[in-house]
Amino acid sequence: MIISKSRRATLGALMATACLALAGGAAQAQDKDIVIGGSIPMSGVFAFAGLGIHDGIQDYVKIVNDAGGIDGRKLRYVPEDTGYKVDASVAAFKKITSQNEVNLYYGDSTGFAKTINSELDRMGTILMAGASFASEINDPEKFPHQFLVGPDYTEMFGILLRYIADEKPGAKVAFVYSDTEFGRDPIESSRELAKSLGLSVSGEIMTPPGSVDVSTEVIKLRRAAPDYTIFHGYVLAPIPEFIIQGRKMGMKSHWMGTFWTMDNSMVMKMGEAAEGFMGVMPFRYYYETEGDVPMLEKIREMRPEYQSTAYTQGFLTTMLFTEAVKRTLAAGKELNGDNLKAALNSIENFDTGGIIGVPISIKGNSIPVGRIYRADLEQQKMLPASDWISLDQ
Amino acid sequence: MRIGTAPQTYAADQALFDTRTQWTWLALLGLLLVAFPFLVNEYWLYMACLVAINVASATGLNILTGYTGLVSLGQAAFMGMGAYTVAALEARFGTPALLNLVAAGVVAMAGGAIVGIPSLRVKGLYLAIATIAASFIAHFVFANWTAVTGGTAGLSVPPARFFGVALDTSFRIYWLILPLTVLMVAGAANLFRTRIGRAFIAIRDRDISADVLGIPLLRYKLLSFGLSSFYAGVAGGLWAYFFRVVTPESFPLLMSIFFLAAIIVGGMGTILGSILGAIFMTLVPELLKFVVDWLPFENATVALSPVRTMVFGALIVGFLIFEPHGLAEIWRRIRRFFHLYPFRT
Repeated sequence: MIISKSRRATLGALMATACLALAGGAAQAQDKDIVIGGSIPMSGVFAFAGLGIHDGIQDYVKIVNDAGGIDGRKLRYVPEDTGYKVDASVAAFKKITSQNEVNLYYGDSTGFAKTINSELDRMGTILMAGASFASEINDPEKFPHQFLVGPDYTEMFGILLRYIADEKPGAKVAFVYSDTEFGRDPIESSRELAKSLGLSVSGEIMTPPGSVDVSTEVIKLRRAAPDYTIFHGYVLAPIPEFIIQGRKMGMKSHWMGTFWTMDNSMVMKMGEAAEGFMGVMPFRYYYETEGDVPMLEKIREMRPEYQSTAYTQGFLTTMLFTEAVKRTLAAGKELNGDNLKAALNSIENFDTGGIIGVPISIKGNSIPVGRIYRADLEQQKMLPASDWISLDQ
Repeated sequence: MRIGTAPQTYAADQALFDTRTQWTWLALLGLLLVAFPFLVNEYWLYMACLVAINVASATGLNILTGYTGLVSLGQAAFMGMGAYTVAALEARFGTPALLNLVAAGVVAMAGGAIVGIPSLRVKGLYLAIATIAASFIAHFVFANWTAVTGGTAGLSVPPARFFGVALDTSFRIYWLILPLTVLMVAGAANLFRTRIGRAFIAIRDRDISADVLGIPLLRYKLLSFGLSSFYAGVAGGLWAYFFRVVTPESFPLLMSIFFLAAIIVGGMGTILGSILGAIFMTLVPELLKFVVDWLPFENATVALSPVRTMVFGALIVGFLIFEPHGLAEIWRRIRRFFHLYPFRT
C-alpha cells in the first residue's frame, strides 16, 4: 500500500514515541521512601475486605509518617486494584515492583501468595504478608519471605476446639465447610486435633461454594446432633440459613465461625440468627475499651465510624512491617527479604497497643493468638467470651 | 492505492499474504516482537506473555466457535487439563518442556473429543450448556483426584528448562511462549486454506447441506473439538509454566466466558479477530488502570475501581454496537480506507 512519504514519517514518529512512552513509563520514585506495595481487591467479591484493608494500611502509614517516619525515611503505600483475580494480582505486583523499589508487599489472596512465592524468593528484596490465613503458607521453609497476620485456619480451629474442650469436655462437634481450598484447608488436621482433645466429630458437611439452598445439608447436620457447629470457608451465606433452619428443626447446637465470618457488621447482617453466634478473632474489635488499648483509641480518633476486622488486619500488618524495618535498620542491615523476615522473627513479647490483647511473638510464619467472641444482639456487638488463647505456649 | 494483484496460479490465489508491502510489514512486526523484550520492563513483559497465551487459546476457540459454529463454554476446562498435565509431568518426571506441552495438547484433545460427542445431536445454545458440563466435571476431577492433581491445594510447577536454563522470569519464558503462539496462529491460518478448514466453514454455514455434500459430520465436528482443545491444552500448559501454580480454581467458568467474549469482540471466524480480541480483553482492564492513575483526583484508585469495571463492560458493548463483526472488521475498514485512498470505500 502506498502512503505518501510525509505521512509515513509522521506515523513512524508517532509509533516511536508511543513505544518509548510505554517502555520508559516508570514513575519518578523517591529513593529514600520505604515502599509498601499492595495488590488490594478493591472491586469484586472481596471488595468489602479490600477497602477495609486499604484504609487500615493507609492510616498506619499516616501515623508513622506524621511521627517523622522510620529513621527519617517516610513510608509510601502504593496500591493497585486486583478484583481478587490472581493474574490481575500478579500484574499489579509486576507493575508496582517495576515502578518502585519495593521492600514490603501486601497480597490479596492465598492463590496470589502461592503464585508469587517463587518470584519473591528469586527477587529476595521483599517481605510479604496478606489477607490469607492459609495453613499452607504457615511454613517458614517453603514460604521464607511471607507471613500471616494472625493464626492460620488450622490454628483458628485449634483455638475453637480448645475452648470447646474446656467448656464441655467430650462434646460433639460438627464441621460445616465450603468445597474450596479456603474451606477444606483446616479440616483434616482439625479432625485429628479434635480426637486428641477428647471431642468427637459427629458430622462433616461440605457445601458447594455459593450455594443458597442448604435444606438437605441442614437435615444431615441435625442427624449429627452436634453440641458445637463450626462454620468455615464462608463469609456470610449460607450460615444464617443453616442457623435458622437448624433452630427450627430443634437443634441445640452452639454456632461458631472463623475469621472472615466474624466481622461485627457481617454477623449483625444475620439478623436473629446472629444471637449467640461465636467464633475466634485474633484482634480486638473497633469499639472495645476494656484493657490497655491506646492504638484502638487512636483509630477511633482517626475514624469515627465503625471499622471492620479487615481494617484492623491491614493496620496490624503495617505495624508489623514498620517494626521489622525499624529492627533491620537499627541493626545496620540492608532492607531485603531475608533480613526483614529475620527481624520479624525476632519480635518477642511485642505490644501491639491493644489490637491483640496479649504481647505477641512471631516465631514462625503466623501469630497463633485469639479469643472467643459471642454476638450480643441487644448491643449489636461481638463481646469477648474467653481469655486470650495462645497456641505456642 | 493498491491496484492489480491478479494472481496467476491457484497457489498465489490462496496465499495468505500476497503483496510485498504486507510481507514488509510482517517482517517489521517480527523484528518488533524480537526486540520487544529488550526494550520494556518486567510488567510489560508479563502482560505480553499473558496476551500471547490468551491469543493461543482464543485462536483455538475461534476454530471451534467462529469457524465451525459450535458454541463452546468449555475452553477453560481444556486449558485446565493441559495445565495439570504439564504440572504433573514436570513435577513428577521432569520431562522436557516441549514434550510436556505436546502431551498437554494431546490430553486436552482427548477431553475435547469426548466433550464434542454431544455436538452431533445438540446444537447452538444447547451445545453451549453441554460444554459447561465439561467445566464442572473437570473442576470436580481436579479438586478430587488428589493423587495426580494435588486436590484443592493444587500443584506447583518447577520452571521449564531449556538446555539447562530455567525459564523463571518473564523475559526468559517470553522466548518459549511467543514462538509457540506464532506457530499456532500460523497453523490456524493455514488450516483454513485446506480441505479440513473448508469443511469446518461448511458445517458452520449449514451442516445439513455439508452432510449432503459428503462431509462426514461426526468426524469433522470431533476433529474441530479436538483441534480447538489441543490449542487450549498447549495454552494451558504454557499458562502452567508461566504462573507456576495450578489449582482447581485457576480455570473457572468465567475464564471460558472471557475467551468467548474475546472472540466475539475480536471477530468470530477470523484469525485476526482472535488476536485482537485477546489483546483487547487482556490489556484494556490494565490500560484503564493507567487512565485512572493519570486522573488528578486523590484516591482515584479506590474510588474509581468499580467504575473501571463498568467502563470495560461499556467498551465491549460499544464496540459490538458500532461494529458487530468485531475489531477485525474495524481493522479491515481502516485498511480498506488506506488501500482505496483517495477514493471513498
